Amino acid sequence: MSLTATDAPIGDDVDLTEKTVEVAGRSLWQITWGRLRRDRTAMLCVWIMGFFIVLAIFAPLINHLVGVDPYTPDSSAISDNAGQPYGPWAGASRQHPLGVEWGTGRDIFAQLVNGLRISLLIAFAATVAAVAIGTVVGIISGYLGGRTDAFIGRIIDVMLSFPSILLLLALIPVLDDRFSQIGLEGNAARVLAIILVLAVFGWPYLARIVRGQVLSLREREFVESAVAMGSSTTRILFKEILPNLWAPLLVYATNLLPGYIAAEAGLSFFGIGILPPETTFGSMLGNSLSYFLLEPSYLFIPGTVLAILVVAINLLGDSVRDALDPRAGRN
Amino acid sequence: MGKTRTRIGLVAVAAAGALLLAACGGSSADPGTSGAPTAGPVAKKGGTIYYLTNADQFQTLDPQVSYTGEDLAFFNSTLFRTLNAYKFSPDAKEGTSVVPDMATDTGTASDGGKTWTWTLKDGLTFQDGSPIACKDVAYGVSRVFADDVIVGGPTYAIQFLDIPSDADGSSAYKGPYKKTGQALFDKAVACSADGKTITFHLKLAVPDFNYTVTLLAFSPVPAALDTGEKYSNAPVSSGPYMVKTYQTGKGGKLLLVRNPKWNQTSDDYRKALPDTWEVDFGLDTKVIDQRIIQSTGADSTAIGLSLEPESLPIVFVSPTEAQPQYTGRALSTLDPYVSYWAFNMVKMPNLKVRQAIAVALDRNALRKNAGGDYAGDFGDGVIKPNMGIDYAPTGLWDTLLGKPIPPTGDPDYAKQLITESGAGPVTFTFDYAQSPTGDKAAALIVSSLARAGITAKPNPIEPGQYYGIVFDPAKSHEMMKAGWGPDWPNASTIIPPLFTMNGGFDLSQYDDKAFNAEVLAASTEPDRAKQATMWQNLNKEAVAKMLVLPTIFGREQRMAGDKVSSIYIWPAYGSWPYAEMGVIS
Repeated sequence: MSLTATDAPIGDDVDLTEKTVEVAGRSLWQITWGRLRRDRTAMLCVWIMGFFIVLAIFAPLINHLVGVDPYTPDSSAISDNAGQPYGPWAGASRQHPLGVEWGTGRDIFAQLVNGLRISLLIAFAATVAAVAIGTVVGIISGYLGGRTDAFIGRIIDVMLSFPSILLLLALIPVLDDRFSQIGLEGNAARVLAIILVLAVFGWPYLARIVRGQVLSLREREFVESAVAMGSSTTRILFKEILPNLWAPLLVYATNLLPGYIAAEAGLSFFGIGILPPETTFGSMLGNSLSYFLLEPSYLFIPGTVLAILVVAINLLGDSVRDALDPRAGRN
Repeated sequence: MGKTRTRIGLVAVAAAGALLLAACGGSSADPGTSGAPTAGPVAKKGGTIYYLTNADQFQTLDPQVSYTGEDLAFFNSTLFRTLNAYKFSPDAKEGTSVVPDMATDTGTASDGGKTWTWTLKDGLTFQDGSPIACKDVAYGVSRVFADDVIVGGPTYAIQFLDIPSDADGSSAYKGPYKKTGQALFDKAVACSADGKTITFHLKLAVPDFNYTVTLLAFSPVPAALDTGEKYSNAPVSSGPYMVKTYQTGKGGKLLLVRNPKWNQTSDDYRKALPDTWEVDFGLDTKVIDQRIIQSTGADSTAIGLSLEPESLPIVFVSPTEAQPQYTGRALSTLDPYVSYWAFNMVKMPNLKVRQAIAVALDRNALRKNAGGDYAGDFGDGVIKPNMGIDYAPTGLWDTLLGKPIPPTGDPDYAKQLITESGAGPVTFTFDYAQSPTGDKAAALIVSSLARAGITAKPNPIEPGQYYGIVFDPAKSHEMMKAGWGPDWPNASTIIPPLFTMNGGFDLSQYDDKAFNAEVLAASTEPDRAKQATMWQNLNKEAVAKMLVLPTIFGREQRMAGDKVSSIYIWPAYGSWPYAEMGVIS
């Protein structure tokens, strides 16, 4: 909807004779974006994230342009004795900008860009899935109340009380096995299994938050009027209540995303992540442990990129929350 | 670097019931031995040697179950005596020769090697003071037959002793707990009236049975004190030490103190210098390395096992030479193991396809990833040069594949072999125990085979479950990683286990009548020189048929504190010479 100038309240001391310009009312999104635009930290984070996303999407192209690829071993870059890269910083050179992997001579830059692609794919997909499940369950639970609410509430309690890390470790190989029985093999199965498991354990917190919001929203006048007009429950849930939930959902998603990037790294670190020859942050960090005293760059490079990415998304999440609700701001 | 491979192998093995066997060197000198035994100050009696390990416990303390090389060496030196034992010497030939331990000589063979007799020394006692007689040795051996109670461990007693088999192939004797067929066993392992002489009757000629009895499975157990499967918790010592405390897990330790009933006069085999042995469990491998390198305080009498990759450049100048300050206490030698990839002959019946995989593989990159020169040399079969007379170059990479194959592989020739095979595009899956180094090796296999148009799919398996899974024909894939070391310096402990169905380690699922007949002929050949030639030919045949793709003849690096004496690798087990070691004061 939009307001024209004539609809605006007119004060006694306001002279309107010259003002015939139409004033466009701003939606919540426009207001939020406006506030974000003025937040320097937020804009920096947006640029950083955008940079990494572009890097991830065009990973093969970028690797091609730099002249490296993550799979080809380069025996000439490592020593015969111990497979140690020649030269400092893991043998960083024009040919291998960030050096090469110990033992194989595979390019670190190419692995990093490739790993970014897989990490972001998993994190984004798992976040979208977790938010979707959590929102639907939360809305239904909060709006319907009663037994449904109690039932869903107990399920959430059980989910939250599971030691999720242990279950992740146990479940992924099992899912992997099941997928291979239906013909989905290798990394496709692994990626899907990781996304599924992360999403399944990510939604309960969100469902709780959404349920709380819905409990207060459903008593509001616009919901009552929709009920009075005979709208269907589905329509009320998704057309009346859902649009009012975007703010908390967005904030929660920006909190979930970096957590998932780190979780994927953790799973690969424990060896149940992506299969070789693909590499991710986790497998790179896992590999680095054997060598970091001799070659600290193995730990530094993926660690730094991971840290920048996670901090950027977290700060962006904070800024988005501030922008949506300035009264709850950090200062 | 190299050690990850070895350690992961051993971890996997521990969980799988010690399938990687006790090790033996051979009779040829290892050209790369860096650490000569220290000729410095001589150790006196007293002190404590600390054995630092990353493991949370010993796989077992039960002598009849014990089967990994390092454990056999340690317990044979401290707790359990055997009829014969290996001589203590760093020399590959001397260190794998047998000397009498509980017996007066190394055994007398008669009936063409089908009957073996030993006479026990006087004054042998268990830790409770009761004398060790023939019946105790026989009882120990009989426990091996109770395979529902004594699980794992070598089964040579079942294979060799002259006891008939049931219809299902298991022995008619069911062990000392059920006592089914006890009379059959008592006939096969006979004791003289005075209890001094023990005679083994075998079902076939075993010319090297005097080596077989060095296994702890042939050590004595007092029947009255046997607690069955719980015997591992409190084994009865016949050696110079006995168990004082045994706590497993992180911070746990095994404390061995002197056995007051043991006397040196009945045991000229063991020096038994330190007063106590303390095994510290659950330590971080990097911490162990640091402590032994620094060698301060109590750590100066500490010993460790394989060094971590990042410790190698600190301790060694090159794979054969230690840094000057560590010379004499840092060792780098060929270990007993051969690394190889086994092909499943049922799932991969086409010889040309298997050869194409071997030809296309970049073995050079794989070896570099495993640790390059530290990890070992390129393998050309399952018998290693340090096996002595049983080894001869097979010519695998020079002639057997049709032309010389460079270590980096020959993708064009591999493509040609695939065309000749008529198999069409090759796609297969390979199993390996998961580790960072294993993952990198898998990536190298995928990329190097892709050069020849072969699609290889990696299947990483959790190390603790590895051998359990690959030995299940329903779960294993076309190709799988394995390692093997011989039980004693005779390829009779390599070729039969690896390539015959009853051998116990036949990952290739190979069961060929003609081959089995040749193996049997070689196993029972009394002329050792002739037997060696037969093993050489079988080794060559195994790689010519590409049952396995050998990659690396392993090399190992380890280190001890600067107050430990007798620092060398005992070729018999590829282990520390525990009974010789002492504290230099």
